[in-house]
Amino acid sequence: EKWAATAPRIPPTRLALHHFDVNYSLQLKDLWPSVRASLLCEQKYGALLNNFSAVDHVTQELELLNATDFVSQAPKKALRWQRGAAAEEAGRGESRSQEGSGEGRTAMQAETMTRAETSPPLRPSISSNIKCYTFPRGDVTRFRPARPDALGLLDYYLMDAASLLPVLALNVQPDDFVLDLCAAPGGKTLALLQTGICGYLAANDVSISRTKRLYQILHSYVPKVIRETVSVTSYDGRDWGQLQGSTFHKVLVDVPCTTDRHSVMEEENNIFHRRRTKERQMLPMLQLQLLMAGILATKPGGEVVYSTCSLSPLQNEYVIERAVEIAETEFNISIHVEDLSHFRTLFQDTFSFFVDCRLGELVLPHLTANFGPMYFCKLRRM
Amino acid sequence: GWAPVRRGLPAAPGPCPRRGCGEAAGLRAMGFSEEQARRLLGLRPRLGPRHPEAAAAQLLLLGLSAEAAVGLLERSPALLELPAERLQGRAGELRRLGLDGGQLQRAVRRCPQLFTVPRKRMAAAVRLLRERCLFTAEQLKEVLGTCPAVLLEEPRRLHHHFQYVYFRMGVQQKEMVKARLFRMPFAELRNRHIFLERRGLYQTPYKGQTQTSNPKLKDILQLPEKDFLASLARSTPEEYEVFKKLLAQEEEEEEEEDEEDEDE
Ligand SMILES: C[S@@+](CC[C@H](N)C(=O)[O-])C[C@H]1O[C@@H](n2cnc3c(N)ncnc32)[C@H](O)[C@@H]1O
Repeated sequence: EKWAATAPRIPPTRLALHHFDVNYSLQLKDLWPSVRASLLCEQKYGALLNNFSAVDHVTQELELLNATDFVSQAPKKALRWQRGAAAEEAGRGESRSQEGSGEGRTAMQAETMTRAETSPPLRPSISSNIKCYTFPRGDVTRFRPARPDALGLLDYYLMDAASLLPVLALNVQPDDFVLDLCAAPGGKTLALLQTGICGYLAANDVSISRTKRLYQILHSYVPKVIRETVSVTSYDGRDWGQLQGSTFHKVLVDVPCTTDRHSVMEEENNIFHRRRTKERQMLPMLQLQLLMAGILATKPGGEVVYSTCSLSPLQNEYVIERAVEIAETEFNISIHVEDLSHFRTLFQDTFSFFVDCRLGELVLPHLTANFGPMYFCKLRRM
Repeated sequence: GWAPVRRGLPAAPGPCPRRGCGEAAGLRAMGFSEEQARRLLGLRPRLGPRHPEAAAAQLLLLGLSAEAAVGLLERSPALLELPAERLQGRAGELRRLGLDGGQLQRAVRRCPQLFTVPRKRMAAAVRLLRERCLFTAEQLKEVLGTCPAVLLEEPRRLHHHFQYVYFRMGVQQKEMVKARLFRMPFAELRNRHIFLERRGLYQTPYKGQTQTSNPKLKDILQLPEKDFLASLARSTPEEYEVFKKLLAQEEEEEEEEDEEDEDE
């Protein structure tokens, strides 16, 4: 090919970065440089404890390293924040020294302070059994790889700690029927199992090869008796509404997306590869269809959590808005978008949230807390 | 020899009324105050008074003030161990490299190791700057005058430092000289540059083009860290601290990978 000499092949990571520079600098404005640098640096992990393994010595080991379970710590820390904010409001109000980290956080704190006065006491709805350890802000220690216990079950699962937020938002209650529509490789499925209270759990993913990885994870972490209660399938999630409509109390729709962090860091399997342009452009449509299927699979009164690991409003808020509209006009289903702003208060110590997200919540990567991006939004089918 | 200076001083056959005044006499005669002379003699008492005299004299011959010479020797007492001819010879070599007058004084004050570094090392550094980095004679002079420590550098590291700025940052020699490139340790420059780059605030210019939107090398190098963060990187110290840790980790891992590749 002669023209190849004149048109140098630009690696997909570069294309991704360029795409993000154009779009996200408009959306995030002054915050974009900080998010950009974070995407290009090593991400932070959380260690999701495996309640099915013998974990006592693991928690001890982690606490010695200064890691904490951000899930159980959250309400305590948030309460302290609130008290602090209230005291500060009452006090002189001058010199709010923010030895916090970055503009994102400062803006967030200011916002929390105003909200703290008006909001009801934080709901202790995070009473799940999910435990996930993270290192404090600014601490770049890494977790050792997971290790098997005496029975051969691994002690923890390393994942982006922000991935747990959609699962926490789902707020599984005892005996709930739960559907994980796009489940592979299975990090969130595993977290759902950690609650120990799902009445029935269906884990689906269209990709056979990725479903195999889901099986592997279940195998490495979950005892046989429990593993066998999980119904693993490989349907096209878009058809689920027809397959099993109005069945589930809780549905997680963790859709395929531009996986922003992956796209700027890894050449392999990159959605910004030129030959995948069409696929990439079709993503919002696919996401919308999957969310619709998720809504239809939910019982009236049930809840859906939609999530992506992209910053793109086109894949986030717009998908939500379109789905709400279509549910109304085409299916006569009315949807309520739930307020998750208390998540910001609860988890501000661990994550940096974007304050200007129109619908749902968005975790922004920040060098001192390099989790995410993670968008999640909760819908209730009325 | 320094006998002429000592001549004319009363010989001290008996005990001197003030201890040490005989030893200090030579230094006093060169213009050092009594206090300065005492400081000099205290540096390496076992060497006796001749060494400090000879070394101090060489420094005065470079045009350093008495106080500057004392200060320098206090910071690098090792110079006292060198033969005076060595100091003298090295001063001549530095002059031949183009350092003169005030520049020479500043260079040795900032970097006393110039007297101790092997001559071959200095010559190699100079050759590298001229022949591989293509600094003009005029530019070289300015580099040496402003960053004399380059003469102490291993040529390989110097070359890498230069190439990074030339190719990766797209900066020409002229601007490097103006920015006093070699004053900042390479690791710190790299931290700053990559931090800007990942934040989207610095781009490697295409061949032949200059990227006008990039911050000036001079600012990247010369701003104190606080101002660098506030005005160039528009970031916080907390973020930058984490970034430096992560970049160091990345570098360590790259090195490990390289070693593994070599093993294969
Ligand atoms: C973001 S990943 C899910 C990650 C998973 N929830 C976890 O936490 O480990 C998106 C998944 O959607 C799957 N997917 C893509 N198109 C799908 C479809 N039409 N139906 C069901 N799953 C689909 C992909 O195979 C991919 O595994």
